[in-house]
Amino acid sequence: MNPFDLLGLSRRPLLSDEEIGSAYRKLAGESHPDQSGGDAAIFREISEAAAILRDPSRRLRQLSGSSVGSQLPPEADQLFPRIATLLQQADNLIKKQAAASNALAKALLAAPIKNLRADLDSTLNQLHKWKTSLDQELAKIDSRWPEHDPNAVSLLADSYTYAGRWESQLRERKLSLDCI
Amino acid sequence: MIAGIDLGTTNSLIGVYESGFPTLLADSEGKRLIPSVVFYPENGIPVVGREGLRMQALHPERAAASVKRFIGRRFGEEETEALSGPKGSPVTLPINGKNLTPEQVSAEILKTLKVVAEERLGTSVNRVVITVPAYFNDAQRAATRRAGELAGFVVERILSEPTAAALAYGLDRLQENSKVAVYDLGGGTFDLSILRLDNGVFQVLSTHGDTRLGGDDLDEAIAGLLLREAGITALTLEMKVRLKEAARAAKELLSNEESTAVLLPFMEGSKSLEVPLTRSQVEEICGPIIARTRAHCLRALEDAGLKSEEIDQVILVGGSTRMPLVQRLVAEIFGKQPNLSQHPDEAVALGAVLQGAILEGNLRNIVLLDVTPLSLGIETFGGLMNVIIPRNTTIPTKAGEMFTNAVAGQSGMKIIILQGERELAGDNWTLGSFQIPFPPLPKGAARVGVQFSIDADGILQVLARDTVTGSEKIVEIQSAVEVSDEAVEAMLAGSLEHAIEDMDARIFTEARLKAEEMLPAVKVALEQFGSELPESEVLDIREKSSEVQAALASKETTRLNQAISSLDDATQTLATKLIERGMG
Repeated sequence: MNPFDLLGLSRRPLLSDEEIGSAYRKLAGESHPDQSGGDAAIFREISEAAAILRDPSRRLRQLSGSSVGSQLPPEADQLFPRIATLLQQADNLIKKQAAASNALAKALLAAPIKNLRADLDSTLNQLHKWKTSLDQELAKIDSRWPEHDPNAVSLLADSYTYAGRWESQLRERKLSLDCI
Repeated sequence: MIAGIDLGTTNSLIGVYESGFPTLLADSEGKRLIPSVVFYPENGIPVVGREGLRMQALHPERAAASVKRFIGRRFGEEETEALSGPKGSPVTLPINGKNLTPEQVSAEILKTLKVVAEERLGTSVNRVVITVPAYFNDAQRAATRRAGELAGFVVERILSEPTAAALAYGLDRLQENSKVAVYDLGGGTFDLSILRLDNGVFQVLSTHGDTRLGGDDLDEAIAGLLLREAGITALTLEMKVRLKEAARAAKELLSNEESTAVLLPFMEGSKSLEVPLTRSQVEEICGPIIARTRAHCLRALEDAGLKSEEIDQVILVGGSTRMPLVQRLVAEIFGKQPNLSQHPDEAVALGAVLQGAILEGNLRNIVLLDVTPLSLGIETFGGLMNVIIPRNTTIPTKAGEMFTNAVAGQSGMKIIILQGERELAGDNWTLGSFQIPFPPLPKGAARVGVQFSIDADGILQVLARDTVTGSEKIVEIQSAVEVSDEAVEAMLAGSLEHAIEDMDARIFTEARLKAEEMLPAVKVALEQFGSELPESEVLDIREKSSEVQAALASKETTRLNQAISSLDDATQTLATKLIERGMG
């Protein structure tokens, strides 16, 4: 069964986390193997379905039937070099900072870390703007659903994949810097 | 009947579900909290609990305490540096001339809890739910399960501590729909879990933690402070135990009082330790340790996709959350006052009891949806980790991978299983490895599906299925090191002899690395900012740098450490200037 039907949700591109979570908790609660009448296999199917639907790119691929990586979104093409460099710089500095055992070595890193933080923030900002435009596109596609251009849906799915992955990678580095 | 057990680093508890209520059981002295200390007398059976604690003060070499920190661990990991043994093999504790496993010691504590419950109830108690830190990995969970079995229990569930605490909190609030964070800082471990409570469903959204961070570390830090204040350097093992006890008592007292005095007679010969201690002194020394919990809170929020203001309640559990310092930090991180409704020592045990009642069908319409705290994957060609089950996946769960033969007639393939969040395979915890058998077939024609399943205890099982023949088998995972008991004994005997030498060599190596890092940093900083310092200070720094170089050459550990620390002091102003420049 497809994930939408499993969770009793309508087959649409736009679904809120709240809708998915609420349907998931109700059904997962009933099918959990700890409950009398529970069934581990059904529980796993429902959990997997919810995981697919919560991720907009996987949800869209369910609807469009296309697989990943068929086309590179132009925004991703443009952002990639900057993000790759930034990640490398961040890892480098985080490693140095963690290895610095004395105040002086740490102090020497203060300025480069401050610059990196600013770069991370501005790139995250850019990614955020991109994601907002993706959300708008998603709402637009949803408003005309089920009429749709399969290429546009597939491109949007790919865009969400890149934006989501990069955002989490950059945020992870930012957290690491904040937490040292 | 299924009992619930909180097997803690410092204290343990047992309870049962009785006439519709979870109840914790008291021992013959009327105490519910049983110290997790096992004392091994020269002859006779081990002594557990308060009596064990008293005996430990007299003969610390025959006692095992805080053993939870070692369960499921291997020699050579950070936590086990205090113990020496063959790198990579499971940790054993040398007590009374025997090498005991942490499972064996934990089993003694569990046996005592069993007796407490059976005496109190007048019936045998054989089935249990045992709690573990949410951030325990597969090996630590499996070892805890084994400890339960050694104690004669059927272990019905291994349950995460913050999840258990959430259950205790949520029992009276089943109609609610809310988001809660459980901040659990115990004797030896820290966990932060974020849950969604929705009409009796307790869904864990994310969990983070540190299995080496707790009240024990605070006690150590305070003990160090007391020693420095008293100017005492040499300590016997007995004195160390007494000092740590005194540090813990002072810490607990200072949660309610502003100041106290620690008095320990005859610490060093006839010299007594008498140190006045204020809450602010303790907070200053404990601050950096407690601050380490912040990162885990932020990461858990990030993984749950929530902002701190979206959390409705932050529930505090674990004895260390009694400290005002901890409560202030939590309030600052989450932007709201923490919820103190749960008993810090008892909430986890109560939750374990409730989970037992759920499993027995005595508590209906309540269900826990827990997650696996760490990503599970396999090592790929090139030494990277390929994630198969990401962290925070709801358990029980399954995931599969298909493998084929790279060359004709290949008879098998070795798969290394990893747990952790790092990209490089070597940076993660190696759970073990197994062999996939291939039937002799042309290249690429074999098809073996491998299924990884994590059960409700958070423990991994691997199943291999040959899709050509349809035959299936449960794969035996070899632990990361495969050494026979005799080999371990032999290696242990050898390594103990060298332990003292190794220790000194290691301390010198650490100091050398520090010096080698520091000298170039000093050079660069002086080149950039030397002109802004008074000449006398520059001279002082140069002099102390030379002493570090001389100490390095002399290979004297103590001298090198002293030289490094005085250079560190001498460069304080320089470091501050650099940071100001960096921020400006």
